[in-house]
Amino acid sequence: MSAQKKRNFQIEAFKHRVVVDPKYAEKTWKILEHAIHEIYNHNASGLSFEELYRNAYNMVLHKFGDKLYSGLVTTMTMHLKEISKSIEAAQGASFLEELNRKWADHNKALQMIRDILMYMDRTFIPSTHKTPVHELGLNLWRDNIIHSNKIQTRLLNTLLELVHRERTGEVINRGLMRNIIKMLMDLGSSVYQEDFEKPFLEVSANFYSVESQQFIECCDCGDYLKKAERRLNEEMERVSHYLDTKSEAKITNVVEKETIENHMQRLVHMENSGLVSMLVDDKYEDLGRMYNLFRRVPDGLFTIRDVMTAHIRETGKQLVTDPERLRDPVDFVQRLLDEKDKHDKIISLAFNNDKTFQNALNSSFEYFINLNPRSPEFISLFVDDKLRKGLKGVSEEDVEIVLDKVMMLFRYLQEKDVFEKYYKQHLAKRLLSGKTVSDDAERSLIVKLKTECGYQFTSKLEGMFTDMKTSQDTMQGFSATQSADTGDSPTLAVQVLTTGSWPTQPSSTCNLPAEILGVCEKFRAYYLGTHTGRRLSWQTNMGTADLKATFGKGQKHELNVSTYQMCILMLFNNADSMSYKEIEQATEIPASDLKRCLQSLACVKGKNVLRKEPMSKDIGEDDAFFFNDKFSSKFYKVKIGTVVAQKESEPEKQETRQRVEEDRKPQIEAAIVRIMKSRRVLDHNNIVAEVTKQLQSRFLPNPVVIKKRIESLIEREFLERDKVDRKLYRYLA
Amino acid sequence: MGIQKDRVRFNVGGKIFETTATTLANAGRNSMFGAMFDESWSLQPDDKTGDCFIDRDPSCFAVLLDLLRTGEIIIPPNMPEKLLYREALYYGLIDHVRAAKWGQFDGNRLRLVGSVVGRAPGDGTAIRAGPDGGCCVAHGSMVHVYNWMLEEYPPINLDYQRVNDAGWVNSESIVMSACERLGTGDGGMGLFNSSTGDLKYKFHVSHYNQIKSYTAGALSFSSDYKIFASCKGRSNEYGIGVWDQVTGKQIDFFYESFGWSLGDADKLQWLQGSNCLLVATLFPRKDNCYISLIDFREKKMVWSWSDIGAPTTVDEKRVKDAIAMEDSRSICVVNEYEDLGFMDLRSTNGSVRWSSRSRLMKGKMSEEPCYPKLALHGGQLFSSMNDNISVFCGPDWVLTSRLRSNSYGGSICDFSIGGDRLFALHSEENVFDIWETPPPAIM
Repeated sequence: MSAQKKRNFQIEAFKHRVVVDPKYAEKTWKILEHAIHEIYNHNASGLSFEELYRNAYNMVLHKFGDKLYSGLVTTMTMHLKEISKSIEAAQGASFLEELNRKWADHNKALQMIRDILMYMDRTFIPSTHKTPVHELGLNLWRDNIIHSNKIQTRLLNTLLELVHRERTGEVINRGLMRNIIKMLMDLGSSVYQEDFEKPFLEVSANFYSVESQQFIECCDCGDYLKKAERRLNEEMERVSHYLDTKSEAKITNVVEKETIENHMQRLVHMENSGLVSMLVDDKYEDLGRMYNLFRRVPDGLFTIRDVMTAHIRETGKQLVTDPERLRDPVDFVQRLLDEKDKHDKIISLAFNNDKTFQNALNSSFEYFINLNPRSPEFISLFVDDKLRKGLKGVSEEDVEIVLDKVMMLFRYLQEKDVFEKYYKQHLAKRLLSGKTVSDDAERSLIVKLKTECGYQFTSKLEGMFTDMKTSQDTMQGFSATQSADTGDSPTLAVQVLTTGSWPTQPSSTCNLPAEILGVCEKFRAYYLGTHTGRRLSWQTNMGTADLKATFGKGQKHELNVSTYQMCILMLFNNADSMSYKEIEQATEIPASDLKRCLQSLACVKGKNVLRKEPMSKDIGEDDAFFFNDKFSSKFYKVKIGTVVAQKESEPEKQETRQRVEEDRKPQIEAAIVRIMKSRRVLDHNNIVAEVTKQLQSRFLPNPVVIKKRIESLIEREFLERDKVDRKLYRYLA
Repeated sequence: MGIQKDRVRFNVGGKIFETTATTLANAGRNSMFGAMFDESWSLQPDDKTGDCFIDRDPSCFAVLLDLLRTGEIIIPPNMPEKLLYREALYYGLIDHVRAAKWGQFDGNRLRLVGSVVGRAPGDGTAIRAGPDGGCCVAHGSMVHVYNWMLEEYPPINLDYQRVNDAGWVNSESIVMSACERLGTGDGGMGLFNSSTGDLKYKFHVSHYNQIKSYTAGALSFSSDYKIFASCKGRSNEYGIGVWDQVTGKQIDFFYESFGWSLGDADKLQWLQGSNCLLVATLFPRKDNCYISLIDFREKKMVWSWSDIGAPTTVDEKRVKDAIAMEDSRSICVVNEYEDLGFMDLRSTNGSVRWSSRSRLMKGKMSEEPCYPKLALHGGQLFSSMNDNISVFCGPDWVLTSRLRSNSYGGSICDFSIGGDRLFALHSEENVFDIWETPPPAIM
């Protein structure tokens, strides 16, 4: 001590940096390292957080951040290596549990270490671009545990094994599973994907490929789909329980591909249980399942739709071309409607009202309805039938439903103008014979046609209704003037029909009996007196008459007959028998009509007010007819129908067809002129295309006909061919 | 938990503080207190005294504890800010300090909080406010970077070429544009880490798959991670280049058309609402002024204005800076007498409507005039002139405030607003001022 005192007091030069103790860093690190050991050994309660925090702070402050960081890496790695060993040592089922436990421990330790090293995390790490402590801990866990040789494959196999066991019906510890998967996800999406998801998807694909092969060999289509649906739901449930939600799309994709996409064709075409038999048997549930499963795979719905379309077209085609069915038009249309209802129901119940399916259904109907050229006629006949009798006692709404359905069929028709022709004829018959059940229903249908096809389509039909109405008024006026001379003279009811509005009939007049002729003349005088400049002609082929007749035993009957029949019967007021020739001469009824009338008067059982010799079904030109004294009927009123083919006969059909073709000509010409007027110059193909487009709401014009019309227009100098390019037409104003 | 009650006693550097766990919870989990009170650290107070000891400075702890209690920071005059910042960093409370230190930006309530003197020899070129309250200053061939505590980071440079512009892409990255050095491929544009000064990557311009050296001028950034810069290439490749901030790759180049200047532009401004870029080339860089809006999706100029052919007698109406104001669909320009002028963005051939109302200080020119600069922030328009900055508000842009620093730096050559601060750079001395809005009044 004394020796030291002798020395001169020396002031040491100020050093730039005061390093307290060369071993300072090492000492401080030892303290922290020890703390980390204690934390991992669950022995942290004796540690002072403040002291550790301060020490870590000081190390960073005194530029020992690098040492601190690398020490952390080394120490943590060492602990993780130990942990890895203890996990490896775990036997059998305890493997996952041990892993899970250690993972929880590590997480907790990591959090505490991070707490101590918070200052380093905040300042040193960002400025040196090192990995933050938490992330570092996860990375080290990944590298030392999950990717260690002895754990990596074992972990994967254990997880896949558990999933497999669950798929085969065993119950597994889902909570543990969830924790382990959660760990993989925490380690980063790439760890989850590479170390679990990818192999999982591969194994699943194998599993379902084998399983679906087994199923398809032994199940019918419905059962197979049920199984597939259950598997799909199981996988979704699995994802929701312990996998990453992002895996759902991937695993369902695998199931869809293996179970559905790969067997799609086979399922759909499966004998006795495939799509067609489901459709035939209305298996809504199975169909719905198929729809929901197939919509998940590419081309799935397309496949269903394709097969459905082919099936509908095929059955529809059979329906419309079956000669049996063509006998009864009403039944024919009813079957079409039933078919449509059936498939509508399937689409709404099983196919989610899918628009594309509805379109496919519509196009199929359009396709096969037009295969039969008589469809327009039949649909009109169906309406006729419904409006004549079918709607009696049916509520207004039901009427609407029936009419709407008819309109739907109407929409499918290509030749709407043909329908119009027939509809007009049938409507005329209904109106004139007073057979319509409901005026409202008639008008309602016309309104529907109008909204569908426009004003011009229905204007004539509406004219017919107007005529009926004005005729009523006219008759009231007429009978008012005639009221004076009552008596035995026949009462006359006249319907004045505007020419053009009504279906033109060849005016086949006949000789009316004198009594009738008198009344008719009176009416003519009355009518022309009130309306000047008009011409009346009698349509004797369309009228009806009520006759009072007395038969042999004095029994009286009222006979409801057609005008022609009336003319024939009136002849028998003066004679008891007449030959065919005599009748023909006296009445001048056209031969075919006459034959029909006579047939209905003489050959129908229970209505044979005439007797014919020889007795036979058909009328010959040499036959003789007698007043049938023995006629009897339990009814007072007897309606004698005309034997009419309700359907058109072959020549009539030809005639209607011809009329339709004739009517189309001006329409086509008008369309051509309209188009050319706006386009001035156009080539042939384009004209045909545009004309077709313009007219397709009414009918499909035949290109040959269009060509003929163009030629006719050229002749009449509406158009000319271009001088240079012969394919071009020019509009001549 | 070692603490049964809410009450906590600290012994900080020998001084006893008593507070509640609730108050300390305001610090958040990501702070020393958050960790200290976590369950895993079974906090055990000293057996004898019942205190928790912290080996730190007590006076700063008092200020920070007050911050946790009230959310306000009041720094005693005798306490160096740096000391407080250091302590806040220790406790993990630096973000709290930053948030409490100054309020939301309002041009009419600004107060000068300090001036920083730089060491660079030459005049400053540009100053740019960062998103976190820091700033960077371009001087000659270097850019000096400061964080919000105004601590200087290592300066950055691009081959020591003359810096034309700089800008913050985000709080960690700065882009710098510089002149090229002939024939070497030096210069151009680079993206730097703001705190370390490391160059992340250089942006290249390539024409016909050939990388060309170029001089980069004015910069602008869009919110969808694009960088725009005016470029002058070797072989007349003048125009506006577009790069991706994330990859650093060039994604577009808009060539200037003949007789129209883009590559020399003084100012670029990305317009978020209309998806267009405003490009302004102004006197004296060129003899005429050209202002245009470019739509890169359609690759065309959708709006343009130039004073070519304007009568030369109106020399005083030379446009010195321009800024687009999307809210009022107009462009504001300023001349060297601080007259503000306005142009309608909706009509394509508009002329400048000068507003003489703003000219309040004619004839008071400083010896070394600086050209006026414009900035727009939160619906307020700022214009620098000589050594002060004027603030204009309202639909008619009425002059509402004038910021005048009493520092000695001479005229303001550039200023910038960001991170709720305004930075103004003086031209004669290397001094920049920091303006802040004080936190709202207590009552």
